[in-house]
Amino acid sequence: MQKNIVTLAVGAALALTASGAFADQAGPNDVRLGMYFVHYEAQADDISGPYVPAGLNVHLDNVETLYLAYVRSVTSHFDIELAFGYPPVTKTEGRGPATLGSVPYNGQVISTARWVAPTLLFEYVFGSPSARLRPFAGVGVNYTKFVNRQSTAAGNAASGGPTSIGLTASVGPAATAGLSYEITDRWHVYASYSIARVNSKLTADTAGVIRTSEVHFWPNTLVISAGWSF
Amino acid sequence: MLRKIGVLGVAVVALGLAACGGTNSPTAKVASTTQRGTLVDNPALRIASVNASDFTAQLSATASGPQLLQLAGTPACGVDFYYFKYWTVGPDASAQEASGALMVPTGSSAPCTGPRPIVLYAHGTTTDSAYNIADISDTSNSANAEAATVAAVFAAQGYIVVAPNYLGYDISTLGYHPYINGAANATDMMDALTAARTALLSSFTPNTSDSGKLYVTGYSEGGYVAMATVKAMQAAGETVTASAPASGPYALEAFVDAIFFGQVNIGSTIFAPVFTTSYQKAYGNVYAQTSDVYSSTYASGIDTLLPTTTPLATLFQNGKLPQTAFFDIKTPMSSTGVAALDAAADQLLALPSSPPYTASEAALFDSGFGSPFLISDAYRVGYVDDAVANPDEAEMTLIGGGTLSSSNIALAATPMLGLRKDLALNDMRAGGWFPQEPMLMCGGDQDPTVAFQNAAIMAALWTPYVQGGLVSILDLNAAPQAGSPFAPLQVALQQEEAQLLAANPATGISSFHTAEAPFCLVAARGFFAQVP
Repeated sequence: MQKNIVTLAVGAALALTASGAFADQAGPNDVRLGMYFVHYEAQADDISGPYVPAGLNVHLDNVETLYLAYVRSVTSHFDIELAFGYPPVTKTEGRGPATLGSVPYNGQVISTARWVAPTLLFEYVFGSPSARLRPFAGVGVNYTKFVNRQSTAAGNAASGGPTSIGLTASVGPAATAGLSYEITDRWHVYASYSIARVNSKLTADTAGVIRTSEVHFWPNTLVISAGWSF
Repeated sequence: MLRKIGVLGVAVVALGLAACGGTNSPTAKVASTTQRGTLVDNPALRIASVNASDFTAQLSATASGPQLLQLAGTPACGVDFYYFKYWTVGPDASAQEASGALMVPTGSSAPCTGPRPIVLYAHGTTTDSAYNIADISDTSNSANAEAATVAAVFAAQGYIVVAPNYLGYDISTLGYHPYINGAANATDMMDALTAARTALLSSFTPNTSDSGKLYVTGYSEGGYVAMATVKAMQAAGETVTASAPASGPYALEAFVDAIFFGQVNIGSTIFAPVFTTSYQKAYGNVYAQTSDVYSSTYASGIDTLLPTTTPLATLFQNGKLPQTAFFDIKTPMSSTGVAALDAAADQLLALPSSPPYTASEAALFDSGFGSPFLISDAYRVGYVDDAVANPDEAEMTLIGGGTLSSSNIALAATPMLGLRKDLALNDMRAGGWFPQEPMLMCGGDQDPTVAFQNAAIMAALWTPYVQGGLVSILDLNAAPQAGSPFAPLQVALQQEEAQLLAANPATGISSFHTAEAPFCLVAARGFFAQVP
């Protein structure tokens, strides 16, 4: 999967390079393509509800996914970025006792969900506009919606049956800091580190029995990307 | 510009969403009908799943577990505990939701998979409105010990167990429990069975199925419910392979007559409010106001007192119920004006410290008298007057020192008191029926809570079937007979009861009823194994 995403990113970058032949000079618009490397510092309340032993918690696996952004330079020092990731499948693992009764729990992937998480960032770009290497920092807002929420077979076994998963959408602050490096007038590469506050109420419904947890995902992401200005 | 960004954002998000595909995973389907026997959530919720070795280890780690394992045997199977909800009807025929446990044996060994027999289990009296026999995971639940016992005795040995919580408990919104209401209890049991069979089809272990063999058992109240269920299922043309009601108040009218004659059983102050509320709700003939039955100390609010989530100790402490003082320590007198009736009634109203009771019996019964007391003097006198005027033959035979036979055990022909009419209606002697498939009635003649006379009266009623081997009676307190498969159980129980008495000579007997339960269930299992 990761290889495919990288291939797709490179392919898209090449396509953009080709299309660059139609433009004469760099403009205020920048389209970026790259990779998100997402690490979750998730903190969740222990799962509560009927027939839930104490000490059940969850952990999120790290993911990588395609990064896509549109950036508009408002001034030579101020950019507005709208960033997206191709909605990654994030896996949730059980944390707590090794087994519930005799059902494996700790370390089992109990659910998956895709994240649709656009982030709008207002960035200040340091240094001279003519400098090749320019740091930038910004703040903004993240919106996260969870789709295709699936309880796995292991999750169903732990929950006690087919389970629907609810995760409320989140709106929260985001911040970023990074570096841009100018390769040509139109081409730049970027590396940045971002963090967002993503809180969601997890609701699991198994045969009408509701279990809940409040999850603070704290995704922090490393982004490596290439951008083309027009 | 921002508008353009917005449009682009929406477009990209839309692409992302489109790329996701799929839908969210579903939960159980909720039934769209409230017809009797409908499973509400399908599949049902599995609360816990333990394999045989884990179950053994978990039981071993509890205080009473090792003894249970010794009695029930080491689990041969794991057990999946399901909690299911089902639709049934209340005594007023209204649709009611109730819940129960489905315990499914698991594992690959022969007795644990494939077609397996079902044990339909009826639980005993509980005052805990939150009682949930499916909740094996919560050791603080009052049903936990009974759930573990049933699982160890039956499910872990290859029987599928269906055990309803009954109307009035757990999620039921009926507001009371139809206690010892035979028809209502049987309806509840049968509807739970129907729903559980549906739940079994969508369990985590589809290879485990209903073999078609159905065994019905239960202890205490559950013994009564089990027998009422056999009666109702036979009447409905449904086959019960065999049954083992245990320590239940089957000969209800005679049993309660005996209590009003002074043979006050342990637990009577708890049973009475559950009884009167049940019958008042179902038949409306027990009282005009609660003070017709109960003393002024306790009458207020007693009709809504039980079941409850308040611990019994708190109810006693708060003066809601007396712990043991069922009747007034001062003996009331009958005053009908009919001399013979008054004389007979007064004799029955006298304290049981008089003969013919033994010293230990008298001590036990005497503890049911005190002050403040639960039942009003006037109600007790009125009850005894009715019992003298319209006698239950079986009780009169027993109290007269006679021997029960099929010719001296009839119900009262025309009881006049509302409660006695209700008792007669729900007495298992009513209806002219007998078990068409093998039945074992287990109990103990030292049981101070549910008198063994209940089983003895039914056995006398069914004398031809006892003689024919269709109906068996097992007195765990009787001398073990060489060669009897139940002799080891009798020996073990009697040893345990001797230890209880040695540890506490005055009150040890109060634990006998509870102590006998797992022995009767193991006896039931052995009995069922003989009726394949």
